[in-house]
Amino acid sequence: MAKVTREMVDKTGINVDQLVELLVKNAAAELTTYYYYTILRANLIGLEGEGIKEIAETARIEDRNHFEALFPRIYELGGKLPEDMKVFHDASACPPARLPQNPQDVKAILKVLVEAERCAVRGYTYICNLTAGKDHRTYDLAAAILNEEIEHESWFSEFLGEGPSGHFMRRGETSPFVGKFLQ
Amino acid sequence: MRRFTRKELVLCNGEASASVYIGYKGYVYDVSRSFLWQGGKHFWIHNAGADLTRSMGQAPHGEDMLERCPIIGELADE
Repeated sequence: MAKVTREMVDKTGINVDQLVELLVKNAAAELTTYYYYTILRANLIGLEGEGIKEIAETARIEDRNHFEALFPRIYELGGKLPEDMKVFHDASACPPARLPQNPQDVKAILKVLVEAERCAVRGYTYICNLTAGKDHRTYDLAAAILNEEIEHESWFSEFLGEGPSGHFMRRGETSPFVGKFLQ
Repeated sequence: MRRFTRKELVLCNGEASASVYIGYKGYVYDVSRSFLWQGGKHFWIHNAGADLTRSMGQAPHGEDMLERCPIIGELADE
């Protein structure tokens, strides 16, 4: 634990224990999403599925990166990850991104993907609002993750015909926003 | 449609295998099957068995989230 760090956050009026719980829930969402996206990506096959596979893979890897970036902050603030993986899974801030009943229904897979990203966007917006101007490090981290989650949402949303994402997919490196926390 | 009093709703708080119901804008929603209401708790902020109409404004989501859960009754004004 970083004692003074925690003290400084506490002095801003933020309930640090609740913030830590929120970070644990979002870390769980990231790692479980990484797992469920593995299954979704594996099932994105055929003429329709192959076109989405690469973006799903980028989102999958970046969600794992988000977990890697989040967990140190949990420990800095005096928290810890649950020892039991099942407890961790069930604590997730987002529902499991399970494979649809018909795994050949690419649109149904896209809906699962976009829903997972929307849950993340809501969650990190909430953390940003909670920490803005108070807990600078958590805010910086949550904002970096939020930037990537918003891009994920817009990619999948574009494939669902909801309008252009407004930007191109990744070229080369993943996690352009969160990368600085992974050094 | 079943009419719930607030006293009845309080009992549907998810504790000891009770049903997980919440009140919202005069209706009672069954959130028992929602992953995010396991054990009758929604994050650390909300407990089931309560009227959450006033809480929605602070949530990071809109009331569209409730469209996924069935309405199983009306909440009586007492």
